[in-house]
Amino acid sequence: MPALAKYGYEGLFLVLFLEAIGIPIPGALALLIAGAACASGNMRLIIALPVSIAAMLAGDTLLYVVGRKTGWHLLGFLCRISVNPETCILRSAESFYRRGRTTLVVAKFIPGINTMAPPLAGSMNMKLWQFWQLDFVGALLYALAFGGAGFLFSDLLKMIVGGIQAFSSIVAWLIALGVAVYAAYRVWLYQKHRMYRVVPRVSVEELAERLKTDIDKEIVIADVRSHGYYDAQAQRILGSIRLEPNNLQASIKDLSKERQIYLYCT
Amino acid sequence: MLKEAGYDAFVIVGGLGAWQKAGHPLEPVPKEDLVLLPTFS
Repeated sequence: MPALAKYGYEGLFLVLFLEAIGIPIPGALALLIAGAACASGNMRLIIALPVSIAAMLAGDTLLYVVGRKTGWHLLGFLCRISVNPETCILRSAESFYRRGRTTLVVAKFIPGINTMAPPLAGSMNMKLWQFWQLDFVGALLYALAFGGAGFLFSDLLKMIVGGIQAFSSIVAWLIALGVAVYAAYRVWLYQKHRMYRVVPRVSVEELAERLKTDIDKEIVIADVRSHGYYDAQAQRILGSIRLEPNNLQASIKDLSKERQIYLYCT
Repeated sequence: MLKEAGYDAFVIVGGLGAWQKAGHPLEPVPKEDLVLLPTFS
């Protein structure tokens, strides 16, 4: 964490803010180093602690506002990597509704949940003041836990940081390997889904024209969104039906194969 | 999957957004299709 050592409070704020908005940066390590810097007199605890909490609150509030503005779309986006996005959305929402207040307090300690909790609170219309109170407690606990550990075990940390520097080339190779594996995974996904590109595409103008002229072809317009149905004001194309992508066989069992199906999402 | 099942399927370019932007008609999602998730207020 050389940036933190060089830029002190600004670096601490930046690292914790970026971690809060979901960038995979080890904020806990920054707090450990800041705690150790406070123990050695290079940083002042009375400044480092408020800076840390302010950074986390700023990042979390940003995600809260995004969740508030986008409704369920952000959760839908985050659940896209799930095996069953529909179930992911439903379970996440119900779980957060039951344990949301506790979740916000401990979220910082659980990777992944720390990024999901603030936008979920926004999506579920938690009052901003209540969100700030719970998030403040969570941020304080997180800062005290890791900053305190850094403060108390500053000598041990120096040894660990020295060890990390010694093995920096190994770390660099591991990062490169991770990037290569991810790139290979993306190529595999690309190859796997290549077959779906043969599905013909039509513009809305073409479809509107076909609706006027090809009445005998029995056109079906099918809405395949999964997260477009969680807002009471949700709209769809006039006359369309819903096809649930995660339950396609059941959705199409009564649909004649003579009909042309035009699919759309958001 | 629809193609595999023997359906004549097409994809609407731009989806609902493009349809709405072009000024074509919309309708509210029927209440029985809505899955309303819990909220704090």
